Amino acid sequence: MKRTITRLAGVASVLLMTTQLASAEGNLSLYNWGDYINPELIDAFSKEYSVDVTLDTYSTNEEMLARIQAGASGYDLVWPSVHMHDIMQKLDLLQPAHPNEMKGWENIDKGAMRSHEDPNGDYCLPYAWGAVGILYNKEQIPELTSWKEFFEYGKEHPGKITMLDDLRETLGVGLIMNGASVNSRDPAEVEKAEAYILEQKPNIAAFRYDVIPLVTSGDIAAGHYYVGGVLNVLQNPDLLGFVIPEEGATMYQEDVCLLKTAPNPDNAKLFMEFLMRPENAAKNSERLTNGVVNTAAVDLLPEELKSNPSINPSPEVRAKLQIFEDLGKDLRIYTRAWDRIKAN
Amino acid sequence: MRKFLPSFKLLSGLLNVYGLVFLTFLYMPLGLIVLYSFNANPINMAVWTGFTFDWYATIFGGAAVETTFDAAFTESPERIFEVVKNSFLVAFTAASIATIVGTATAIAIARYNFITKRFYQALLLLPMLIPDIVLGISLLIFFVGIGFELGLMTIIVGHVTFLSSYVFVVVSARLAGMDTTLEQASADLGAGPVTTFRRVTLPQIMPGVVGGFLLAFIISLDDVVITYFIAGVGSQTLPLFILAMMRRGIRPQITALAVLILLFSFVVATVGLLLRNRKP
Amino acid sequence: MAFGKTADSRRRQGLVLLLSPVTLLLGVFFLIPLGIMIVYSFLEPGLYGGVEWNWYPYNYGRIIGWPLNDYETFEPIYLSIFLGSVKIALLTVLVSLLICYPAAFWVSRMSEPRKSFVLFLITLPFFANLLVRIYAWLLLLRPSGFINMALESLGLIAQPLDMLFSSFAVIVGMVYIFTPFMFLPIYANVEKLDFSLVRASQDLGAPPVQTFLRVILPLTVPGIAGGSIIVFIPALGNFIVPAFLGGSKVQMTGNLIERSFLQSRDWPFGAALSLLIMGSVVIIVMFQVIRSTRQNRGAA
Repeated sequence: MKRTITRLAGVASVLLMTTQLASAEGNLSLYNWGDYINPELIDAFSKEYSVDVTLDTYSTNEEMLARIQAGASGYDLVWPSVHMHDIMQKLDLLQPAHPNEMKGWENIDKGAMRSHEDPNGDYCLPYAWGAVGILYNKEQIPELTSWKEFFEYGKEHPGKITMLDDLRETLGVGLIMNGASVNSRDPAEVEKAEAYILEQKPNIAAFRYDVIPLVTSGDIAAGHYYVGGVLNVLQNPDLLGFVIPEEGATMYQEDVCLLKTAPNPDNAKLFMEFLMRPENAAKNSERLTNGVVNTAAVDLLPEELKSNPSINPSPEVRAKLQIFEDLGKDLRIYTRAWDRIKAN
Repeated sequence: MRKFLPSFKLLSGLLNVYGLVFLTFLYMPLGLIVLYSFNANPINMAVWTGFTFDWYATIFGGAAVETTFDAAFTESPERIFEVVKNSFLVAFTAASIATIVGTATAIAIARYNFITKRFYQALLLLPMLIPDIVLGISLLIFFVGIGFELGLMTIIVGHVTFLSSYVFVVVSARLAGMDTTLEQASADLGAGPVTTFRRVTLPQIMPGVVGGFLLAFIISLDDVVITYFIAGVGSQTLPLFILAMMRRGIRPQITALAVLILLFSFVVATVGLLLRNRKP
Repeated sequence: MAFGKTADSRRRQGLVLLLSPVTLLLGVFFLIPLGIMIVYSFLEPGLYGGVEWNWYPYNYGRIIGWPLNDYETFEPIYLSIFLGSVKIALLTVLVSLLICYPAAFWVSRMSEPRKSFVLFLITLPFFANLLVRIYAWLLLLRPSGFINMALESLGLIAQPLDMLFSSFAVIVGMVYIFTPFMFLPIYANVEKLDFSLVRASQDLGAPPVQTFLRVILPLTVPGIAGGSIIVFIPALGNFIVPAFLGGSKVQMTGNLIERSFLQSRDWPFGAALSLLIMGSVVIIVMFQVIRSTRQNRGAA
């Protein structure tokens, strides 16, 4: 027995040593959404600058904020949505990286400067944007164009549709269906949205993020999902479809931000510049199937992406997309509505 | 019982059938995972389309699965190696510390009389009784409050707090079944407490100590909830990694990974249970 | 070094040495964190997470049913979620009890070494990773999952049953996870059962049902109580099972706590909810301790 323990101790000390070795070279620590960067880019950057890149992932803005506030101080770059970018800047969690002084800034679409706190790009680099629509299985629903059809399908086939487990996204759909702003601070409007979602709840199978496998396998027919699902639509065009509903939808945009506590700010800035190269931005968009914020990258995209109405919507559709803003204390109106939806 | 209850003959037949159903209930889900991990169908694992080792190969970086659905974001072998390394580092360190703490406490409770004994016994049971989420959250608040950076260290410390209780229970059971005359004899012959402990007590409770260590090791390796709240930068463990994968959707690679974890846990648990059952 | 010291003081020194690690460990990393959590539950939530150091009893007011902090609109949504969790946890206890009770008798009738082997088989799944076990049920219960396909191919159902993402799925998943917790205490009890009493009851002509209800059942109450408690406690605070098998549609207090910390940035409310769960656990454990002490006293 003693021998076993000695041997285990040996193994552990070897493990400890390798941990230390790994931190010998230049480092860069990324904290990004799951599946939100082309892994090839990380490899390429890592090779070009011989920097050791680590990537941790989160699934909501709030989770990321909570962990950063909880003292997770080893990360360099984070990918907050625009409203979270504003919050983090207000909370003094970011430092200016000055992407606007970097090479390649001229390619950044100035329409993507959506942050209120950072209108000139002193802090963060716009990364990608996209609409939140519906991913559906064409074998079960040949065509889908609107939220109305989505919910009607749910009424006829209860348990075959899902919505996101995100209070602002899902209540946002309720607000859109009542013609209100997704940033409404009016309790009466939020209450109406809540009532709308509650009315649908018996037909909604679940509030989930793992929509792609469920729709692909036909376990559910349609799910509220991000435009990133188009990647799977392109791989499986006969089986899957994605639509931005005609009533309108929410949209998101993430910015790449440098944390105040970043241990490797120089590598982080190099990485920002690296992301701005048109060929890299294009390579990333191919994988993310998100809207592009790099005008020079658009020409490098394959035709199927450039002409895709969900990735690159027409101006009329764009006009119906709404982006979330920070609501401050009024977020509690939404939290309570959401808790009520979940409780009933 | 068979002898005493002849009228229960039919019942005992039914009981045997029921026993098999019970075991099926316990093992069918695990068996299915093993089966699915060899299914070539990338979209719906429940539909069998052929036998494959691909999912295992992708974990070890063998075959890059090109044509499969969702291959775009398959995790790299290096990444998987890193989280496995984290998990083992945490489990080994935490279980070792917990074994020392738990064993020391068990000896104190079994061999000494003191006023606060009942208090200590109750205190040691609490971390096992409290729901994981409460423990995880109180630790999160605490670490953040004192400015302790979240990471592998916080996970290790968090695990030690509840693992010590498990080791304590296992070692206490061993001590309870132990004859104290040898210890007394050793003391009577003039051996100091340290010598007595090393030469007499420790060899006798060793199976309990190792069993406790292995139990702690496995529990630490599998812990999701507490780790989830107190993990920080670069400290993702295997269960957290699987949790993140599950959130994004069921993928065949998870199944293969799950089977490997299953195998490992079973081997360690078997060794642990065998040791524990060995008579003193 | 020990010169001049009595054996007694040396023993005391040994005791201090043995107890100090655990005292330090549980004191600093268990009792103090719990204390801080209690304090937090009476503070005002910070706008973006954390706390403001102001006296704020409304967290508890919200739990009881005044969500707007004004003590006027009474709307007990959180209480109803809590009661729903209690209901799901109780059903989990009931179902695992029904499953494990006969199994305990089955095993207790075996002879060695078969008995040891079966006991080993029953304990083993407990060591499989929690997520792996939940994931297995996700695969089983899906509309296109194993159970539906089996039932369909047998011609028993025409349409796949909607089993996943429901309280049913949550209860099944938790029963599966906690089976060893329920089985082992009942088994330990049944194993020690005095079957001469059963025989006496039969000799006196009592029908089997009555023998069971009047003799066997009362004798196994301690095992049932022990198993029920150690299943109920983790079931009540669970949030992983409802998140996956309940599709986040079935809501338990654990999910609310998780959301308070990682989504809605309301730490004090999460702390208050944690204390609600913790309080329930303490009450149940105390109840059990009192019950068993009384029983022991009665026996003595």
